[in-house]
Amino acid sequence: MTALATRPIEARKAEAASVWQSHGVPHRRVEEWKYSDLKTALGEKGVGADLAEWRVASLPAGVEMFDLSLSNPPDWVKTHFAANTGNVMGAASLALSAGGVAFRVPKDAAIVAPLKLDFTGPGHVRGLLVLEEGASLTLVEGVGLSDFRNVGFEIALNARARLGHVRISPGAGNSVLVEEAFIRVAAGASYRGHFASFGSKLSRMELQIALEGEGAEAHLSGVSVLDDRRHSDVTSHVIHRHGNTNSTQLFKHVVGGRGQAVYQGKVTVAKGANGSDSSQTAKALLLGEAAEADLKPELEIFADDVKCAHGAAVGDLDAESLFYMRARGIPEAEARGLLLQAFLEDAIAEIAATDQRELVRTELLTALKGIA
Amino acid sequence: MLEIKNLHVAVDGKEILKGLSLNIHAGQVHAIMGPNGSGKSTLSYVLAGRAGYDITEGSILYNGEDLGALAPEERAAKGVFLAMQYPVEIPGVTTMTFLKTALNSQRRARGESDLDAVGVLKLVRAKAKTLNVSEEMLKRALNVGFSGGEKKRLEILQMAIFEPKLAILDETDSGLDIDALRLVAEGVNALRDPSRAMLVITHYQRLLDYIVPDRIHVLARGRIVAEGGKELALELEAKGYEHIVGQAA
Repeated sequence: MTALATRPIEARKAEAASVWQSHGVPHRRVEEWKYSDLKTALGEKGVGADLAEWRVASLPAGVEMFDLSLSNPPDWVKTHFAANTGNVMGAASLALSAGGVAFRVPKDAAIVAPLKLDFTGPGHVRGLLVLEEGASLTLVEGVGLSDFRNVGFEIALNARARLGHVRISPGAGNSVLVEEAFIRVAAGASYRGHFASFGSKLSRMELQIALEGEGAEAHLSGVSVLDDRRHSDVTSHVIHRHGNTNSTQLFKHVVGGRGQAVYQGKVTVAKGANGSDSSQTAKALLLGEAAEADLKPELEIFADDVKCAHGAAVGDLDAESLFYMRARGIPEAEARGLLLQAFLEDAIAEIAATDQRELVRTELLTALKGIA
Repeated sequence: MLEIKNLHVAVDGKEILKGLSLNIHAGQVHAIMGPNGSGKSTLSYVLAGRAGYDITEGSILYNGEDLGALAPEERAAKGVFLAMQYPVEIPGVTTMTFLKTALNSQRRARGESDLDAVGVLKLVRAKAKTLNVSEEMLKRALNVGFSGGEKKRLEILQMAIFEPKLAILDETDSGLDIDALRLVAEGVNALRDPSRAMLVITHYQRLLDYIVPDRIHVLARGRIVAEGGKELALELEAKGYEHIVGQAA
C-alpha cells in the first residue's frame, strides 16, 4: 500500500504526539464532538496515560500475532503501524500507549474460525490487523467495561482481502469508551463492519475508511438500544479515493429514557473517483420525551457520475402497526417488543457470520425487553 | 351476541357516529352499507378498540360484556376479529412468526396452552391451502410486497385460524378483481357457522352477491337510516345512496 515504511515508527509517533498536544481532549465546541463531549465526560481525571490491555480469546490457526510492546517488530508491522496520525484521539492513543496487539493473515489464507479480541482495562491501547492479498477473516471485538479507554485500531486490507468485523459494546453506566478505526481497503477488497452498542456514559466508535482501489467495498451497519442516560456515537468518514468503489451504511437506534444516539456519517467521493456508489441510512425510534437522536448524514462529492443516497429519520413506533398486532391478540408490551425488533432487523441481517448475528440478536432481545 | 345501543363516537373531538343502534345474533350475517364518510370504518375501529375512537354516549355489549372497556388484545382473545380494509405492512416480522405469536397470545389469554411450532405450522398450512396462500407468502415479512388480493386473503386466513365469534369485515372487497373477490368470499362463506356472527361493511353491493347477508343496514351521517333484507342492496345499487339517504333525512 502506501510507502509508510520509509518513515520510522518513532517519527510517526512523534507526529501523533504533536497533533495530540496541539488539540487536547475534544469537547462539544469541536464540531465532530458536538454530541459527545469527551472533556466533560472525563472530568478532571482527563485521559491519563495508562496502558489499556488486550486479550485474545481465540486465535485461529494461520493468523500471526505480534505484541506491540515488544521491540523489533516484523516488517508488516513497520509498514502498516501508525499509518494514520491525523485524528485527535487516534493520535492520543499513539502518543500515550506503549503497546497493543497486531495480527496478520497471510496471502490467500481463508480463515474460517473467528479471531476474538477483547480490549480491557483503563487507558490507551493500539490494535493493528493486516490482511494480505486474497486473505479472509472474521474479527469479533469485545469491549470490556472500564472508567475510560481509548483504542486506536488500524486495519489494512490488501487487494481482494475480505474482513467481517463485529463489535459489541455492552451497556454500562459509567464507562467512557472511545475507539478510532482506520481502515484502508485496496482494490477488490471488502470490509464489512457491524457495531452493536448498548451505550455507556460516553461511547464513541469512529471510523475512517479509505476505498483505495477499483472495486473496493465497505459495508457498515449497526444497532443500538439505549436506556437511562446511555450514549452511543458512531461517527464515520468513508472516502471513495478510487472510482467504481461502493459503500453502504445502515444504522438503527432504539432510544428510551434519557438515552442519546448519535450518527455522524460523512461520505467523500474524491476527484476522479467516478462511478462510485454510496448509500447512508440512519433511523432512530425515540420511546420517550427525553430520548435523543442526532443523525447527521453528509456528502462531499468531487467526482462525476456517482450514485450517492442518504437519509435519516427519527420517529416513534408506528401506531397503525401496534394496533394491528393488538387487534390480533398480541398484548401491547409484546407487540411493542416485536415491532422494535422488526425495526432493527435489517441492520442485524447485515452481519454475515451466523453465530455473531444470532449473538447480537439475542443481546438485543434482552435489551429490548427492558426498554419496551 | 352484539348489541349496539345509541352509540356516539368522536374522533379528535368530532362526532362521527351519532346514535347508532344494531343487534346481531349468533349465526347471522349482517351488512352495513353506506356512502363514503358515513362512519363505516369508524364503526369497525371502535368495535376493535382502536385508540382515538372515543365512545361519548351509548354502549356496545358483546355477549353481555361492555366491549368498550376491553383492550384490543382482550377483545381478540374473546373472539372479536376485524378484517381490515388496509392491512398493515410490517417489515422485519415474518407472516408465520406473526401468526404464531398472535394465535398463542389469544390461547394464553383464554388459559389454553401454547401450540408448538409444528402444531401451528400444520394448522396454518391446512387453512392456507384453501385460500391459496402459498408457503412463500408465509415466509415473507407480514404483508410486505403483497398484492391487494394477497393482503385480503391473508386477512381471511387469519380469520380461519383464529376462529372468531364475531367477525367484522371492513371493505374486504376494496381493491379486488372479480377472481380475488370470489376466492375471498368463498373463504368467508366457509366460515359461516351457527355459533358465529359476521358484520360485513361495504360500499358496494357487489360483495353481497357473494356473501349474502341476512340483514342490511344503511349507514349515513353516523346513523342507521334504512334497514331491510338482502333485496335492499339491489335497490341501493339501482337507485343510489342519495335516493334512500335523502328519503330518510
